[in-house]
Amino acid sequence: MSQTLTLTRIESKLFVREWTTLFFVFVLPIGLLTIFSLMDDGSGSSDGIPASFLPTMAIGIGVGILGMTTLPMILAGYREKGVLRRMSTTPVRPVKLLIAQLLLHLAAGVVVIALIVGLGTLAFGFELPGSPVPFVLSALLYTVAQLAIGVLIAGLVPTAKGASIVGNILFFPSMFFAGVWTPGDLMPESIRWLRDITPMGAGMTSMQDAWAGQWPGLVHLAALVTATVACVVLAARFFRWE
Amino acid sequence: MPENNLVEVSHLRKTYGATVAVDDVSLTVRPGEIFGILGPNGAGKTTTVESIAGLRTPDAGTVRVAGLDPRKRRTEITSLIGVQLQASELPERIKAWEALELYASFYPDPADPAELLERLGLTAVRDTAFAKLSGGQKQRLSIALALIGNPKIAILDELTTGLDPQARRDTWELVKQIRDSGVTIILVTHFMEEAEYLCDRIAIIDNGLVVALDTPAGLVDSARVEQRISFRVPGSLDDSVLKALPAVDSVARDGDRIVVTGNDDLLVEVVVELAARGQAPRDLHTEQTTLDDAFLALAGRHLEGADR
Repeated sequence: MSQTLTLTRIESKLFVREWTTLFFVFVLPIGLLTIFSLMDDGSGSSDGIPASFLPTMAIGIGVGILGMTTLPMILAGYREKGVLRRMSTTPVRPVKLLIAQLLLHLAAGVVVIALIVGLGTLAFGFELPGSPVPFVLSALLYTVAQLAIGVLIAGLVPTAKGASIVGNILFFPSMFFAGVWTPGDLMPESIRWLRDITPMGAGMTSMQDAWAGQWPGLVHLAALVTATVACVVLAARFFRWE
Repeated sequence: MPENNLVEVSHLRKTYGATVAVDDVSLTVRPGEIFGILGPNGAGKTTTVESIAGLRTPDAGTVRVAGLDPRKRRTEITSLIGVQLQASELPERIKAWEALELYASFYPDPADPAELLERLGLTAVRDTAFAKLSGGQKQRLSIALALIGNPKIAILDELTTGLDPQARRDTWELVKQIRDSGVTIILVTHFMEEAEYLCDRIAIIDNGLVVALDTPAGLVDSARVEQRISFRVPGSLDDSVLKALPAVDSVARDGDRIVVTGNDDLLVEVVVELAARGQAPRDLHTEQTTLDDAFLALAGRHLEGADR
């Protein structure tokens, strides 16, 4: 246990020394929230766009980058450079490094969520989520699903560069299907089902529902759980330590 | 198994697909020695030590370290063996101190990280990121990591590849100090000079086979086909005088130099004969057989050129 804690502590130090990661995970979502909040003329929601679209989009993007690019790049890079192989010559099993990275990324996700909710309500006049418990549940399920996707990418792609490419290839369609460019009723009806079941879409939608004071739809939660389980099962099957 | 062997490798074989990395390797490592594994790139050296460290499962043969199967007794083996792997890096931004602190936490009874930094001359760069260390500093840090668990055996794989001559010399002294502190060392290298300088015994591996296993002097002896001396003499000397000596095999002329080959008694017999004739040899050269000659004789080609 103390080994996992030491690993988590030192990996966290390495994480915060990587300024590009800090930018994409923390600064970019806050920037998007700020810019689009300032652009909003206060005429109220229209086109069926939920009031909480902006903060949940910011969370969706920040956590999405954590799961789809940051985590797989670090893990694939450690394998590529022999860090995992080096570790397997010590009494510590490399799986503890994986656990440390998951803990660290989970904590980073919680920070993203707290920053966006905090800034959104304090600086940009958003209400606090109407149903706190369902909101926390949705946000965590979304984070875990994204991290599971990240572990699967790291399991299938041998290099850090490759993991970054695959992560980005998945990330942009995810934003599209989540309706980042076509929120609410702007998304054509024929493809809205994709927003309901793709992880980023299901995550954002369930957070929006909880923000509006409702329980998120079962379809969205089930989609998040399904994505998580599927990725973990596949990653366990395909993950290579060297 | 004899009690006094720390490592026993017996008919090890390992293939990757159609490639035979190790064909048939047997060797033993005794406590307290620096054991060299020497051979050109791709000879199977790394696969052999990775099998000793328990990172590879042999296709055939057995490996025992202190009597234990390194694949099955991971907990004991990982505490027993400290490893410096070829082409294995640390995260770019980890500081020297953090790397040691982290690896110390992996072991039940670690060495003192601060003391180890001091001993390896890394105290001044303790807060420097791994990526910013020089090649020699990186290698010293990786030696420190190999020693942090207080191992009985240290495996050092291509330790000085890529270092400048001064850093290489410094590293050699360090390896000797580590052995003197009671750690048995398995040194993988393709540098003849390094093996000759450091090792108590050397296994020469080529194409996945052990070509020879002996002390450096023993390898040189076994490879020495003949002695060769060359010299000038005052006045004239008929070849038949030299050919009549029992130790002499051949006599040849190279300009005004006489080149004579023969067995171990060659030098003494020639010098005594010439001195008795009042024609003491001048500008006498004896050719020293080196470990490189030994490799040439044993493996049929030069070592250093083999991987370039």
